[in-house]
Amino acid sequence: MSEDLSFHLSNGLSELGIGGSIENLEPLTGGASKEIWKFNLVNSDVSSKMIFRRGSGTESSLAIQTADEAKIQEEVLKEGGPVPEIVLVSNSDNDLGDSYVMKFIEGETIARKILRDERYKPALPLLAHQCGEAIAKIHNTPLANLQFLPKKSPIQLIEDLYKLYESYQQPSPVFEYAYRWLKQQNYGDFKESLVHGDFRLGNILVNEHGLTGIIDWELAHIGNPIQDLGWMCGNSWRFGNYKMVVGGFGEIEDLIQGYNGVSEEKISAELIKTWQVFGTFRWGVICLMQAYAHINGSVNSIEKAAIGRRVSETEIDIVDLLFLGGN
Amino acid sequence: MIFDRPTSIELIAAVIDFLNSEIKEELPPHLVFKLRIVTNVLQIVQREIDLGENLSKEAEELIKEVIESTQEPSLVELANSIKEGNTELDKESLKNALIEITKSKISVDNPRYSTFKKLVE
Repeated sequence: MSEDLSFHLSNGLSELGIGGSIENLEPLTGGASKEIWKFNLVNSDVSSKMIFRRGSGTESSLAIQTADEAKIQEEVLKEGGPVPEIVLVSNSDNDLGDSYVMKFIEGETIARKILRDERYKPALPLLAHQCGEAIAKIHNTPLANLQFLPKKSPIQLIEDLYKLYESYQQPSPVFEYAYRWLKQQNYGDFKESLVHGDFRLGNILVNEHGLTGIIDWELAHIGNPIQDLGWMCGNSWRFGNYKMVVGGFGEIEDLIQGYNGVSEEKISAELIKTWQVFGTFRWGVICLMQAYAHINGSVNSIEKAAIGRRVSETEIDIVDLLFLGGN
Repeated sequence: MIFDRPTSIELIAAVIDFLNSEIKEELPPHLVFKLRIVTNVLQIVQREIDLGENLSKEAEELIKEVIESTQEPSLVELANSIKEGNTELDKESLKNALIEITKSKISVDNPRYSTFKKLVE
């Protein structure tokens, strides 16, 4: 398989006038529905590290085409956002499939390593501010070339999520409450923005100086920008460090300060909290979706079975946010 | 119960001990990670057998305080009452029921979860 891939990569690159040989092609662990490979493109003495990312065609209904992720990254890069430079984009009609090649950016993605390893200690105090800046750059990205993305208003997002929850017929009083509560909130008058949709540890690259790259754009869409901030502040993405509201490593003031330094939109901790409730509900429904893939028999997996009992983690977080002064 | 000891909880404990003491060291790292999920799942089952009946009864009492007319208090009924707008969101007994029932669920599913630990400390 890797020989075939090497051949098609080499062909695809040379069609773009990029010569060189493909060396050290090896798979990396990616998301369940994506293949990710790393390789060196070697031209005489110069070796450049590259990443190849390909969709399987079995992505969740929430995900965009893999090749479209590349188009987004190109636009965000023009805005000065830290994203890998795109080298090649292919679609499902080509030998390479729905995929793209990007330049490798050095950095760690695994949350527990970033939060616990000595190496990343100097980065952690800087990271919330840097994430605020990077998210603001995503949101400042002009939309002219991104009109293929789905547009989702807050209310549409809430309704879509509720429908997905309802489809599993496992009634949760807390989710019913959250749904009614979310529909009553004011989402502010923000301009439509590019939203990453899954900005958190795991989907960003970090080295000892902080944020180096933003990856995994498959949940991107156009909508209310604050959802990206609320998502990464949810307790689901603090990996046990619940006192550090931003991603388990930072303070919300630093995130807002970083954001406000780049964006003209005025945001508040209160608005972020509303989106935290939404994000926590969303993660709860994703857990439900994974658990029911096991329960319905489409996959037989102990991990997916176990995740069904993580829905209550999101319920307690919602209860804490809404009734018990949680943040 | 007509069954002899070991009780169901003791049987599961024996399985967990066996997995940790004799199987774990034989496994490659990616399966050690999976084994941890397996033992976590077994511990959920232990806690549910141990606490589940009482917690479910307590939940029924809490639901009766929200929906006074109910004959068969259940999570489904509470969820429907919220969904259909029969219960106001600011009703204190509703908030209290959601808080206590959710704490009960997480005390079985994952008592080490950060928010639960924070709330019971």
